[in-house]
Amino acid sequence: MNYVATIGDREVRITVEEVGVARYLVRGDGKEYLVDAHQVQDSVWSILYGTASFEADVQRKGDEYEVLIGGDCHKFTLMNEQLKALSRAGGKAAAGKALVTSPMPGKVVKLLVNEGEEVKSDQGVIVVEAMKMENELKSAVAGKVKEIFVQEGEVVESGAKLLLVE
Amino acid sequence: MFQKILIANRGEIAVRVERACQEMGIRTVAVYSEVDRHALHVRCADEAYLIGPPPATESYLVIDKIIHAAKQSGAEAIHPGYGFLAENPLFAERCEKEKIRLIGPSAHSMRTMGSKTLARQTVQAAGVPLVPGTVEPVATEEEVLRISKQIGFPVMLKATAGGGGKGLRLVRAEEDLRSSLRMAKSEAKSAFSDDSVYIEKYIENPRHVEIQILGDRHGNYVHLCERECSIQRRHQKVIEESPSVIVTPEIRAAMGKVAIEAARAVRYEGAGTCEFLMDRDRNYYFLEMNTRLQVEHPITEMVTGVDIVKEQIRIAAGEKLTLRQEEIKQTGHAIECRVYAEDPDNNFMPCPGLITSLRTPGGPGVRDDSGVFEGFEIPIYYDPIISKLVVWGKDRPEAVARMKRALNEYVVTGVKTSIPFHIRVMNNRHFLDGDFDTNFIDKVFFREESERELPHFEVAVIAGAIQLFLDERKRAISQRGPGTGEPASMWKYAGRPGIPKIL
Repeated sequence: MNYVATIGDREVRITVEEVGVARYLVRGDGKEYLVDAHQVQDSVWSILYGTASFEADVQRKGDEYEVLIGGDCHKFTLMNEQLKALSRAGGKAAAGKALVTSPMPGKVVKLLVNEGEEVKSDQGVIVVEAMKMENELKSAVAGKVKEIFVQEGEVVESGAKLLLVE
Repeated sequence: MFQKILIANRGEIAVRVERACQEMGIRTVAVYSEVDRHALHVRCADEAYLIGPPPATESYLVIDKIIHAAKQSGAEAIHPGYGFLAENPLFAERCEKEKIRLIGPSAHSMRTMGSKTLARQTVQAAGVPLVPGTVEPVATEEEVLRISKQIGFPVMLKATAGGGGKGLRLVRAEEDLRSSLRMAKSEAKSAFSDDSVYIEKYIENPRHVEIQILGDRHGNYVHLCERECSIQRRHQKVIEESPSVIVTPEIRAAMGKVAIEAARAVRYEGAGTCEFLMDRDRNYYFLEMNTRLQVEHPITEMVTGVDIVKEQIRIAAGEKLTLRQEEIKQTGHAIECRVYAEDPDNNFMPCPGLITSLRTPGGPGVRDDSGVFEGFEIPIYYDPIISKLVVWGKDRPEAVARMKRALNEYVVTGVKTSIPFHIRVMNNRHFLDGDFDTNFIDKVFFREESERELPHFEVAVIAGAIQLFLDERKRAISQRGPGTGEPASMWKYAGRPGIPKIL
């Protein structure tokens, strides 16, 4: 399979081929890596690369990856090459519309905007409290608050839809 | 000795206290909110009482409910842990009235040390060095100016009733004094409905050094040496160690003596901690006294061999301290890392939720004071602390190396934790050199981290790519039905040419 990894502003084409039980040949950046990879504990992988042993906790949210190795968090995006080409073609459609979701379970303490209100990109729109800490969540885009899905005082799950900015 | 003790707390500290009780043959009574039915402190206790809905204000903070549970269970004493009711003089008074022994100091001690100005007045009279400044609230602008000039800029304006950084203003020069005073007063007024402020000299880049003391009802006191708690993020301690690299035996003895005098001044009973600021010239100034068990008490236990919780219980039972000052020695070096359910790679966002898997560190010199287990759902209502990882080593380099390897062994999935942050601190050259102050994390560490190269980026991308490869195949199988894109049997690969073998 062919993938494209985006690390900062750099794109790397990567191919993955299964070459044995839990063995993969990964090519990228002009190099070849033959690795032995086992998902050993929930999201944690044990990876043998040559004789070097690594533990990697792989978190995936859509195309976005956060991989923890030895205390370092590696953030990048990874997409199937074909899908990436497709999304480029129709790429603009999604821009200008953004759903604000709760990154953690918590309680809605305060709505900072009303429906119909204009907001700027990066403007705080809602405050969610978890573990005695108040967290102001921001709109990723500029636009109008189209819909608010929650009320103040409501307890929400992680990933819950909070409001829509369009 | 008590037969039964109620622990008015939850999480790791409730479990810590239960452990001491069980080792002393004392029965334990847990209290829990509706959301804590599965919590470790309930599972480990001999008895447990439901005390109400999840918010602490309706459960763990309700004095009536705690007292009621104590009476129902027949507990003779209550251990408050830290936080919640631990430093509430009203709770201490209520326990006195109900003839239940509170494992902690008297309401009088709590009240005196809880008021910043009263504490300053009291310890100053006992000869404890204070940050130069006023002991009384300052009334007029002229007076503020006069005193500021006298002690020298920079100065700090502080709300008498203050806490949590509110009503606090740093003034570097005379011309800023007027507006800063106005802001400090108005902030103090809105936060504490009390606009009185006092002035202190501002100590540039101080280190935070504290002394653990124990005192009994019979007037005997010992100190258990120092802890250094300068590794703080936004004024919250995150890593502590004992001994401190900057404290000499002479300073240790002098600070210990001073801390005991502060405790004696309020007839302090139990375990308490005097916090000091230390400047570059190793002058130390009393900051405040914490009238409870500290979060970071285990590092003192590791280097002195004293079980502080058991001492608290013995003291509360009226026993005399059997520890002698000359017998107390720090052996080796201990470090504690506070493990919080928060994401260090997304602005330390809190991460309550289900712990889907857990691998706790072990091996020589490692202690994990935890309040959780695999399958536990961390509630949204309380502090994000889930465990305290503590290590002991024969010296600081061994302790740091041990902490690093223990942190690497520690795997928590399902929720993000501050473990990666701690690993990065353990690798920082300033931390390794002992060269830091209370501003280190916020001012130096994060800047250095943002410039650091990550050595294993390619392994991370490989792991991600394999994950995506398998996720895609799984999806293909579920779409096409079983039997189609299953992983090929290994026999198929055996004859393929050109595939190097990894053995």
